[in-house]
Amino acid sequence: MSTHANEIRTVRGACPQDCPDTCAFLYHVKDGKLVEVTGDPNHPMTCGRLCVKLKSFAEHHYHPDRLLHPMRRAGPKGTGQFERISWNEALAEIKDRWTDIIERYGSQAIMPHAYLGHQGTLNGLTSGDAFFNRLGATVAEKTYCESGSSTAWIMTVGPTGGLDVESLAYSRYIIVWAMNMVSTNQHAWPFILDAQKQGAKVVVIDPVRNRTAKQADWHIPIRPGTDAALALAMMNVIIAEDLVDHDYVEKYTLGFEDLKRRAAQFPPGRVADITGIPAEHIRTLAREYATTQPSAIRQGVALERSHGGGDAIRAITALPALVGAWRHVGGGTVEMPIWEFPTNFDAICRPDWIKPGTRVVNELDLGLALTGGLELDPPIKSLFVYNSNPVSQALEQGKTIEGLLRDDLFTVVSELFITDTARYADILLPATMQAEQYDLMVTWGHLYMMLNQPAIDPPGECIPNVELFRRLAKTMGLDDPYWNMTDDEMLQAFYDWDSPQLQGITLDLLKERGWMRLNVGAPDKRAPHAEGHFKTPSGKCEFSASAAKDGNFVVAVWRSMYEDRQPGNPVDPVPDYLPPYESPLSDPERARLYPLSFISSKAHSFLNSQYANEPVHQRRQGEQTVMMHPDDAAARGIEDGSYVRVFNDRGSFEARAVVSDDIMPGVTTANLGYWPSHNRSGTSVNAVSAGGRHATLGQAGAFCDNLVEVAQV
Amino acid sequence: MTHIVTDNCRLCRFTDCVTVCPVECFHADEERSYIDPEVCIDCGACVPVCPVKAIYDAADMPEDLDRWVAVNAERSAILPRVTAKQPELPTAAARRAELGY
Repeated sequence: MSTHANEIRTVRGACPQDCPDTCAFLYHVKDGKLVEVTGDPNHPMTCGRLCVKLKSFAEHHYHPDRLLHPMRRAGPKGTGQFERISWNEALAEIKDRWTDIIERYGSQAIMPHAYLGHQGTLNGLTSGDAFFNRLGATVAEKTYCESGSSTAWIMTVGPTGGLDVESLAYSRYIIVWAMNMVSTNQHAWPFILDAQKQGAKVVVIDPVRNRTAKQADWHIPIRPGTDAALALAMMNVIIAEDLVDHDYVEKYTLGFEDLKRRAAQFPPGRVADITGIPAEHIRTLAREYATTQPSAIRQGVALERSHGGGDAIRAITALPALVGAWRHVGGGTVEMPIWEFPTNFDAICRPDWIKPGTRVVNELDLGLALTGGLELDPPIKSLFVYNSNPVSQALEQGKTIEGLLRDDLFTVVSELFITDTARYADILLPATMQAEQYDLMVTWGHLYMMLNQPAIDPPGECIPNVELFRRLAKTMGLDDPYWNMTDDEMLQAFYDWDSPQLQGITLDLLKERGWMRLNVGAPDKRAPHAEGHFKTPSGKCEFSASAAKDGNFVVAVWRSMYEDRQPGNPVDPVPDYLPPYESPLSDPERARLYPLSFISSKAHSFLNSQYANEPVHQRRQGEQTVMMHPDDAAARGIEDGSYVRVFNDRGSFEARAVVSDDIMPGVTTANLGYWPSHNRSGTSVNAVSAGGRHATLGQAGAFCDNLVEVAQV
Repeated sequence: MTHIVTDNCRLCRFTDCVTVCPVECFHADEERSYIDPEVCIDCGACVPVCPVKAIYDAADMPEDLDRWVAVNAERSAILPRVTAKQPELPTAAARRAELGY
């Protein structure tokens, strides 16, 4: 961008992480070294502030444990013994092994495993899709996060951006539902504080009185996995007390009578027993929400992480239309505004290359898929992991590790560090970090195009994922023009630059400015659904979803744009409350053995499992803890600060007990992201979560739908 | 963990910190400002804007400043929140010069 007298050069960048905020970066470079990364103070949403996770990002690039060269396993699987090899040797070995596997088992015996370890158009979630589609690999369904929400959102309002978080500044009543915003959506929080100063009431609905709940005007604790019941009870009150915006409902919604019948089944008295929220509180919440306009709901992805999570999101997404909140600037609901971006995912993923009938395996079932639990024919004989760390993050940790230990499984991992997953690799490939690569970020929490430009040379032999897949394609003998496109040619092809949203925005301008807001209206004017214009088949907010007729589906972007072999299980067109798989009410027999609900949540100082290997972040975050209510602790003779074992029949992990009435009785919680190998038990939160079952919509993981017992170690 | 306002703030109280704090965790009295450790999210936005380098990340604060951890917690709990920049104290310029900034 510029060169100062002190020879520090600044380069514009953007945060690579799986977070809704995608901060505008300034890289500060001196003598070819990244000396500091700061926020761009002029960015209207991120305002120059970085979060705790990224504030030592420059140093992270020089972490002594960076993987710098290709490596080959030189000891038993999982022992972390590797020897350095060249890129040519690594690629040749991959080619030999894959060629043999394809000959003997067919190309579907190869499965990729990726998620949002990087969030770029070139290097992120979909960066390997075209390659694996062309290779004929099993299609990996990537539903770690947001897939259940995406299905629910699209069924109800269509692929719309919904409410802009910046417009929350103009709301008069804000419900933050299942999101610890000050830890995970920090840059949106000041808009809520602005609204609060203007008199808005801020309500947080969460089983835990977390950092965000402590700042709210009203914290409503709710039993895990019961959010749909609360939303339906709010509708019950709104309809019974005639707080409905009848004109809006008449003109811009579909299926009100069906919704009314469903809501009638959820009177506050019944829902108090389900959610643990007093009936009078439910009534007050419903009345205040309906009558204090503009009202807004900031939905958290945590809503999707139990059996009926998708229906919870459908019900919550229906609320603003019922009360006419969408009429106003600052009214409506924020979920994920990614749908405003004119991204050409078909050009990125090339679903036209998928052979008809190709099977789909969900990544969250990885452990089962690798250990014979899914009856796959052919079996998975090779796994290619990038942008993800399933040993830490996938369900049912024990099964994942058991699968990765298979001697006949050829595992390749592209990584920044030798993570707990990478330890099981046969071949390790070194990846670049954000200051070393070029990308246009995929943003899912605000409405800006964000370009990241390389500031320093990659260390060692690290390469960006986009180059990794070019090399792999050529290694495997693919000669399509796709593999010869430059980064800029790809970005030109991967967005519809002629679309109204991108009018006046070009790659050249982005290179100069770093970021530009989509042409979707200013936050103080934008009211996208003031007069309907929902992006559903009917153009209305669909209380009764026409998309339910074909059953459950995963939005194509989470499955390489493949539309065949969707799950298709029946879906009620009208949102309902589906009790958790595991709770004292829904499975009393299991609760006799494992009486406590367990939910995992994001750590304040880690970004999923990233940065959990940085000493400064480890110091800040402290060791793995589990929070439990004083009554539950006392009943087990557990004292605050003592070590406990959290367990069920799937596995266990050890943690230090935090005994606090910040959590509801009967519920326990621990942060995800800790590398199992860093914990005293060698396991972490996903040791107790269950594979093989999903939330009913979008194959989301039921990460927060568990029963456990806790005992003193 | 939290961030900590230390002695350099005394007699200065520039309050540039409050203009960048995303969670409004600053409180102040007649002499100086304090961070509420229950609210601070450790983002560190306040550190570079303080003209007298009074604010530290508790994770890498010099040990001789440890006593300020308790002072911030105790004072922030009883003092009003400050959410907009205040005029600096009349003694600020002299104190800043004395501190060498």
